[in-house]
Amino acid sequence: MTASYSSRLATITLPDSDGKPQTLGSFWSDGPAVVVFLRHYG
Amino acid sequence: MRGHEEHFRKQGATLVAIGLGGREYAQAFRKETGIKFPLLVDADRQAHRALELKKASLLHLFRKDNFRARKRAQRGGHRQHKLGKDPMQLGGSFVFGPGNLDIFVHVSETFGDNAAPEAILKALQPSAVSTY
Repeated sequence: MTASYSSRLATITLPDSDGKPQTLGSFWSDGPAVVVFLRHYG
Repeated sequence: MRGHEEHFRKQGATLVAIGLGGREYAQAFRKETGIKFPLLVDADRQAHRALELKKASLLHLFRKDNFRARKRAQRGGHRQHKLGKDPMQLGGSFVFGPGNLDIFVHVSETFGDNAAPEAILKALQPSAVSTY
């Protein structure tokens, strides 16, 4: 069985634009999150 | 999509964007657009790889739907600033919920293949997210 998209991302930590690390799963732990993967900034 | 942040927030959702470009580009983008939502930098493609997001080929550049998408973006006043590390990397749009629930999934198949904000808003309706 393939893991859900969200569970594959939940434990990944990425820096935000200020360099502060953010664990992705924290964005949807208490409510829904719209997660958009951008091709470019603009 | 950023024009819909307020609508997403009214539905109780947080908007998060993930890009491949470096932090300096993310900062410049934030400054120029005034966006307040988190803009994360996936420089090592960790998140992109985890979701196995697709890549376009050069042939996609010549597809009619790519041409139409570029025109649509231009009409909307969008202009492309800086491509990420991999211009062929495609994106996607998702709505996730508590308990790692996939509420909405749209994996881009080619350039300009973006989820309609209306479809995302529909996925955020209470009846659609009541399963968590």
